[in-house]
Amino acid sequence: MKSVSYVIKENLSNLYRIFCIAKYELLADMRDSKFGVFWNFASPAIQVITYWLVFGIGMQRKGYDGIPYLPWAIVGFAAWWYISPCITSGCSAVFSKQNVITKMKFPISILPATICVKEFFNHLCMMAIAIVMLIIFGYYPNVYWFGLVYYAFCAFMFVEALALVTSVLTMMWRDVKKLVTSLMRMLLYLSPVLWPAAFSSLPAMSFLMKLNPIYYIVTGYRDSIFFNKTPLDHPAMTLYFWIVVIFLFVVGSSLMYHFKRKMVDML
Amino acid sequence: MEDYAVKLKNVSKIYTLKNKDKTKTKIQFYALKDISFKVDKGDTVGILGTNGSGKSTLSLLLSGISDHDGGTLDINGEQALISINTGLNMQLTGEENINVKGALLGLSKKKIQDIKDKVIDFAELGDFLYQPVKKYSSGMKSRLGFSISLALDPDIIIVDEALSVGDKGFAQKCLNHMRKIRDEQNKTIFFISHSLGQVRDFCTTGMWIEGGVLKEFGEINEVCDHYAEYVDMLNAMSEKDKKAYLNDKFKERIITNPPKKGLWDYIFR
Repeated sequence: MKSVSYVIKENLSNLYRIFCIAKYELLADMRDSKFGVFWNFASPAIQVITYWLVFGIGMQRKGYDGIPYLPWAIVGFAAWWYISPCITSGCSAVFSKQNVITKMKFPISILPATICVKEFFNHLCMMAIAIVMLIIFGYYPNVYWFGLVYYAFCAFMFVEALALVTSVLTMMWRDVKKLVTSLMRMLLYLSPVLWPAAFSSLPAMSFLMKLNPIYYIVTGYRDSIFFNKTPLDHPAMTLYFWIVVIFLFVVGSSLMYHFKRKMVDML
Repeated sequence: MEDYAVKLKNVSKIYTLKNKDKTKTKIQFYALKDISFKVDKGDTVGILGTNGSGKSTLSLLLSGISDHDGGTLDINGEQALISINTGLNMQLTGEENINVKGALLGLSKKKIQDIKDKVIDFAELGDFLYQPVKKYSSGMKSRLGFSISLALDPDIIIVDEALSVGDKGFAQKCLNHMRKIRDEQNKTIFFISHSLGQVRDFCTTGMWIEGGVLKEFGEINEVCDHYAEYVDMLNAMSEKDKKAYLNDKFKERIITNPPKKGLWDYIFR
């Protein structure tokens, strides 16, 4: 418990530091290329089109639950492309800042949050694309869309908690990052991003997908946009999701707390 | 209010190294062994020693970045290690980098605005301030980095060979500035440098670390003299003798009977 309050306190007292680091890292990324912020919009758009070609046109998917495939997939991807880069770069959150943590006294536990905040900006770009597309397809914003704010917060807390764990584990064994990167490909298909979690021939698979916390976030995004549902329509899933997040956060915090001054020697 | 700035008692730091023969066994090595000293506020300590003797390890311990393995270490005040290139982002301009590094160091937005003019003034970069740092020469980078670090207001300043990159004029300017804040605000400075001239000129107390142990601690000129003698002696030795001598030194630092390791240590190296 001491470690949890330590991590929360360190993060809250360094909010400006987190935002500043995230902001200037984004800025540095943009300076790298000529068109800068354009790519933050273009690269997800191109990816959506790719998957739409493969699954929507190539494999003739008709869509699910009465929603055409393209808008259905875009919403799923909007959530996925926030979670996925956060998980992969969250692993190296501490490791990639090794020149900083070895050279100055630095609150290491804020590093996962900087990654999540930075990716959140990209997520907002992606959501802007998604919303424009949805309006083209005839889905107009209504009050249930506010659920997106809640689910975005869920996604943020989930990736933050996970990054706390994986970033410390990566410091101990660099293999963790490799493992996570390879698992991400599998995780995409274990999440209801490209297909729904309903396999009539394989009920075990559907159950497994529902155990995945990302299921809650992705279906939450869709519920808010298409089905006019609120988080209160799934009390059991909501409870399960927050238990997972809190568990990860406690594990991550205690790892952070115990190894905060040993990290430098682990490099 | 206590008058000491730093107090160390039997402080050790152990590193685990790979063994020479490619077996899996690892050896434990004293980076620092039984270091004890006390430094008063307002002192300037010059830390001397040959390469690999543990100076930088000591600076890591003093700045609170790394944890020590034995003994007690008391630090009275906020400490900061002055690092040059850390936190500078190559893609961003010098001006933006003041914000970046300021934020990394934990300054508030207002504080960064306050120090900005001072930093710009001190760094003397001219129009290069608005160029991305990747276009800077190494001397310019160190000017910017050092200026930002100096604008901080720590009680204990640790300078680990940070002045060896910039030109003489800038180094002198930095030394003068540090001397000024030391005298006016009673700051404590640890100064690690291989330039005996600078150390003699700038420091009041000398500390000579050799092979991970504190060899001498006292008046700066005395320590400098003894250190210079030692370096001359090493240089006068024939290659073979020197090698044997340094090898012996290294062996002394290895812990011959490392304490039995638990499962925990095996998991976490």
